[in-house]
Amino acid sequence: MSTTYEYVPKPALVKGDHDFGDITDMICETPLQKTPPLWYVAFGAANILLLVMLALIGYLFWEGTGVWGLNVPAGWGWAIVNFVWWVGIGHAGTLISAILFLFRQDWRTAINRFAEAMTIFAVMCAGVFPAIHVGRIWFIYWVFPIPNQMAMWPNFTSPLLWDVFAVSTYFTVSVLFWYVGLIPDFATLRDKATSKLQKITYGIFSLGWTGSFRDWWNYEKAYMILAGLATPLVLSVHTVVSFDFSVSLIPGWHSTIFPPYFVAGAIYSGFAMVLSLMIIARKIYGLEDIMNVDIMEKMNIVMMATGLLVAFAYLMEGWTAWYSGYIYEQAIFKLYVVGPYDWGFWILMFCNVVTPNFLWSKTVRRNVTLTFIISILVNIGMWFERFMIAVASLSTDFLPSSWDYYSPTWVDIWTYIGTFGLFFTFFLLFLRFFPMIAIAEVKAVMPQADPHYYEENGSNDHGKSGDNELKSNND
Amino acid sequence: MSTEKKQPNYWKSLNELAQNEEYKKYLEREFPENATELNDDVSRRSFLRVMGASIALAGFAACRRPVQKIIPYTKQPEDLVQGEPLYYASAMPFKDSLTGLLVETHEGRPTKIEGNDLHPASHGNTNTYQQGAVLGLYDPDRSRYVRKQGNRSSWNDFVSYCKEQFADTSQRIAFISEANSSPTYQRLKEEVLDKFPEAEWVTYEPFGEENRLEGNKLAFGQKVRTVRHFDQCDVIVSLDDDFMNPAANKNNVQDLRRYTQRRTVASNDGDMSRLYAVESTYSLTGSNADNRLRLKSSELPKFTYALAAQLSRKIDGLEAFSQYSNEFSQHQWIEILTDELLGSRGRSLVTAGNEHSPEVHAAVAAINYALQNNGTTVTYHAVPHIDEENQRTKFARMVDEMQNGQFDAAVLIGTNPVFTASSDLDFKEALNNTSATLHLSNYYNETSREVNWHVNRTHFLESWGDGYSFDGTRTLIQPVIAPLYSGKSELEFLAAIGRGEQTKGHDLVRQTWRSFYSTNFEKKWKTALHDGVDSEGHFPEQQVRLAADFASQAQQFTANLKDSNGGLELVVRPGTTIYDGRFANNGWLQELPRPMTKNTWDNVALMSPSTAEKLGVENEDMIQISTSDTQIKLPVWKQPGHADNSITTTVGQGRSKLGRVANQAGFNTYPARTTDRPLVRHDISVKKLNETYSIANTQDHHSMEGRALIRETTLQNYRENPDFASYENAYDGAKLPGKKFAKEKGEKFAIPLFDEQKYPDYEPQWGMSIDLNACIGCGTCTIACQAENNIPVVGKREVKRGREMHWIRTDRYFKGDDEENPEAYHQPVPCMHCELAPCEQVCPVAATTHSDDGMNQMTYNRCIGTRYCSNNCPYKVRRFNFFNYTQEFLTSGSDPEIVQMAMNPDVSIRFRGVMEKCTYCVQRVNRAKVITKKKTGSVKPPDGMVKTACQQACPTDAISFGDLTDRTSEVSEEKMNERTYLLLEELNTRPRTSYMAKLRNPNPELA
Repeated sequence: MSTTYEYVPKPALVKGDHDFGDITDMICETPLQKTPPLWYVAFGAANILLLVMLALIGYLFWEGTGVWGLNVPAGWGWAIVNFVWWVGIGHAGTLISAILFLFRQDWRTAINRFAEAMTIFAVMCAGVFPAIHVGRIWFIYWVFPIPNQMAMWPNFTSPLLWDVFAVSTYFTVSVLFWYVGLIPDFATLRDKATSKLQKITYGIFSLGWTGSFRDWWNYEKAYMILAGLATPLVLSVHTVVSFDFSVSLIPGWHSTIFPPYFVAGAIYSGFAMVLSLMIIARKIYGLEDIMNVDIMEKMNIVMMATGLLVAFAYLMEGWTAWYSGYIYEQAIFKLYVVGPYDWGFWILMFCNVVTPNFLWSKTVRRNVTLTFIISILVNIGMWFERFMIAVASLSTDFLPSSWDYYSPTWVDIWTYIGTFGLFFTFFLLFLRFFPMIAIAEVKAVMPQADPHYYEENGSNDHGKSGDNELKSNND
Repeated sequence: MSTEKKQPNYWKSLNELAQNEEYKKYLEREFPENATELNDDVSRRSFLRVMGASIALAGFAACRRPVQKIIPYTKQPEDLVQGEPLYYASAMPFKDSLTGLLVETHEGRPTKIEGNDLHPASHGNTNTYQQGAVLGLYDPDRSRYVRKQGNRSSWNDFVSYCKEQFADTSQRIAFISEANSSPTYQRLKEEVLDKFPEAEWVTYEPFGEENRLEGNKLAFGQKVRTVRHFDQCDVIVSLDDDFMNPAANKNNVQDLRRYTQRRTVASNDGDMSRLYAVESTYSLTGSNADNRLRLKSSELPKFTYALAAQLSRKIDGLEAFSQYSNEFSQHQWIEILTDELLGSRGRSLVTAGNEHSPEVHAAVAAINYALQNNGTTVTYHAVPHIDEENQRTKFARMVDEMQNGQFDAAVLIGTNPVFTASSDLDFKEALNNTSATLHLSNYYNETSREVNWHVNRTHFLESWGDGYSFDGTRTLIQPVIAPLYSGKSELEFLAAIGRGEQTKGHDLVRQTWRSFYSTNFEKKWKTALHDGVDSEGHFPEQQVRLAADFASQAQQFTANLKDSNGGLELVVRPGTTIYDGRFANNGWLQELPRPMTKNTWDNVALMSPSTAEKLGVENEDMIQISTSDTQIKLPVWKQPGHADNSITTTVGQGRSKLGRVANQAGFNTYPARTTDRPLVRHDISVKKLNETYSIANTQDHHSMEGRALIRETTLQNYRENPDFASYENAYDGAKLPGKKFAKEKGEKFAIPLFDEQKYPDYEPQWGMSIDLNACIGCGTCTIACQAENNIPVVGKREVKRGREMHWIRTDRYFKGDDEENPEAYHQPVPCMHCELAPCEQVCPVAATTHSDDGMNQMTYNRCIGTRYCSNNCPYKVRRFNFFNYTQEFLTSGSDPEIVQMAMNPDVSIRFRGVMEKCTYCVQRVNRAKVITKKKTGSVKPPDGMVKTACQQACPTDAISFGDLTDRTSEVSEEKMNERTYLLLEELNTRPRTSYMAKLRNPNPELA
């Protein structure tokens, strides 16, 4: 008797006939080469926007918060909307790196480095706003529990204080996680580098990595622990951000659905942002084999799933408003739909509820152009979601006498645009000088990484076959 | 000043405005030399000026903390304890009436005005004009020196000029004076008229009671003043008479007090009067009426005569109208009013608006007479300073004669006829054709610019004076500060003209008063000064009877009444907050939302929504209103409840050269008035212009959206359902969330998530109660609060952005199915001082916390300005310093030290980026606690010792404040009343400020 088990072949994660050497070359090429002129153009543009942002922040500090369009019912406007939006975007990276790592989703390796970098820069952009939106920036350090001669602690019941802890912890862990992952790749760059400066710089950052078993053993453990630490943070940070709203009593804010709804929304927008950036980067840097359509499709599926969760949350908001019998909640829901900001609501509905449904179609999921358009729409939709929550709810709260319309000033608008300058300045630096794909991790999920790969293929024909992951014959 | 920022398109405040080039030039012209001032008498002004100059020289403007010099008292004035306020009795004259006041002074500078409890016209209450007077005193734009042909001169020169000019006593002088009740002024007036036998004197007020007086003359043959006793009324019929509004009633404080006495209902067996309002504009009075009828002002005479005609069928005395009938004769309201008035004969009152014709007033007087109201609800008094001749026609005649060069000189005292005179009188021309023209005024205004001599006038807080209140209480006006700009009072001015010499106001007043007190003068004088009221002396009440020829007169004028053509009419009224324009440069009053529109700063063309639809215009569209002789431009504002086919506008705005506050606001509408038609023009046409003008409005939304925010019912229903204001009844039986569970646990309130502080574990515990039944929505509380708590004026741009800083606002809601004719409700909203304050929960730095005595406190020093507290405040009573408003407000102009003197030193001013809100006047509370503790050892002040600024100022005593642990305190008793409810009670914030539900007493037949 003999039994034959045929493993279902799994599509390779890296397309094209690439061996380890190809991968290393493909990824190391960008950091080690001469800077392409196009990069300078992009970097220059990003720098100008960054300067705009810095100048406007300077203007804000000089003149006061009044340069924004805030008023008394709407004490928070674009600044907080942008904060929540950027933090939400900053969710994808750590989710991809940590949670998908723990769930052994190997496809994450194609995008994790990239997404983590995006996360860090998005959180930086987010972090700008809570700091600058306060009236007296020079006392912002009072939100930290620093022992002081006044014997004054911050108020631990305030969700804003929780925000401070949640976002700063998230940022710290994300940076650590990212950096730990980068160490083996920095070592690769150090070894491939030809110029002295590059050798020294990458040498410093690779912390004396030798590639020994002990190095790998420590690395794997550290990475695993950090993934474990980062996982709850992915869920907690946006939960805490949602507390800013849900702990208060304003109709449209005071809602227990907010934590899961915010987390789902964050992942939704984060994946959209990764997709938007990835679709451009893979083209420019010729990484279409690694960041390939299969990966994109998987991301689209996550995006669709979270998008539908978010859509469900919107429905639930309406249902809760009706079922609660709470007149203020009912009123605010009606005012969303038909009210001073109903245009925002319908943009949001289209972008966030209609758009993800296109992703039911496999053709759309695998179409790069359509995916790009959808990802942009989702990001717009998610911005409007935060706008509706923050501004529309505040503008029309309990006493109709204090209802007032909020509209942004040019300073609001350009500060927001300016944060893209901050984001892309860092992101372009990352693309230019960092290995944008985790080299070691990608290699680990290639067929060649299987210890038996060469035996079974029976040749020195490294990496030329390998569509089938494993064939096992048992006589 | 040394720094200059250029932001032409971002008008934040007065300060920035002050930096525009034109204004700077204007200022430079005005103060050409600072140093020469030292040669003047040593005055506060010169000291301040030099101090201002030294700061400017040193270029301190860029520093965050300006260095200021303090001079110590080398000789301590009597009674003065540093840091303790002193109160002086004085009075504010307003036209020919006056209200007794107490002026709070700090180290010699008046900072706040309160009503004088002893004064019958005040009874401790005030109105918006009186509350705003402090800022008027410190207005840096007031005229600062005597000018000859526009050039700087001096008082000495002026007096020597007078001596020379008026040496010839045979010349013909036109004295054009504002209305003034002062006996001293009257004495001087007689003196000059004796001296200059050819001189003529006219009292000119653009808005006044002249028509009512003339009406009385027509009805009774005597020119007597009508004093209304609302406290004696069961039924009040207001015919276009906004008697609650200080702009339409110079005695509104006293009248409101009287009115409120018959509106206060302590329990459900109480009774209240019934107020009917028939009017075109939705007025403050109309919004408080139990039944209101929209009627074009031009149709009001017909309505009045129809009412008289209907009454004439039932009672004697109105035979003159018995044959009269018109389209209103069958009107439902005429029937009902007739029944009501007849049903409360002797306890009713009919009153008509000041500007209506003498004939209407005569008919009204006759109605009251026939209803036997004379002596109870209405009395008539002979007023010594009112001249027999019709002052309006006399003014027109004199202006005409001036134009023809028939006068040798014109002396203008306090008035501003170039701006305010009717459009058919070319007053400028009249001045040009008079060789000597002299003018006394507070501001270098439109008239001052056209005269030979302008004398800068003192504010009433700077000068000696006297006067009679509306019904004749004689009162002294004592200065509480030396004239800031060396101004002269009207008494000194008139004496200089009459006598050609300098006299002191003090001496003039004492001389007059010596004749009142034949014995023991010094003691009586001191008592009168101290009490702020002289108990001896009231205007004698006149027994009137209908004039013999009234019947024939009435038949004539009813027959001669022209039919209004049914088209559009334009009604011109005085501005609610700035009156005839005399308060136009007062930032507090400009920024006070008008009670019915909640607009600030500008005047508008008010019309009903259907009229706007008919004209095809929307809010803020500019329209051009053309009358037969003139055109005015105004922005449209839709006012639900306005009569159709009628447009109302107010005057006093649209100044170009008055001061930096006034110059920004509104449009000049005086050209639309004529001598014959001071109130209504019904020959107008309206054209929509292709432009818009933005209006700074503080309330966008006018419906309560089905929320029981203002709870109200009819008196009748209250009697049957005393518990109508409870949550369950207000929401048709819905249960208050958490109440059931709380009951099971034996708690009074729903149980909160967080640990709660248990009250009271400390005494006293403060609380406030606002009786919506008493509140009329006038806004006096807002100005009082602004004065007490150093709240800055932020300017139109910021109000437009929704950033007004008022700590107590008055919300106005419309209610009713008919959008064209809704009921209006007013609700003052200060901080609720919630026991479970949502704001405290969310502040990340614990800048807002609770005090032991139950107040929600704001620690400005700790605030970093996240605005989270404001977001989480369900009542939205917190105010944020988006810019450095206080600095802008207090450093405008070249000598900001002057406006800084208006600030209350007991209240800190707030920096940019800091949240602020109502404090329950914690400075007053703590002062009372300190005083009580010093006296008794306990920190529990007796009830009534602490009064918040809003409470103290309120003309209807709608607000009470006190200790909740004292079960007998007024506020505790109010809180136990069944009408008391908590705003947004269902949120379980447990506000310390509660409301008492409003009652209306409408006629069930009109329901």
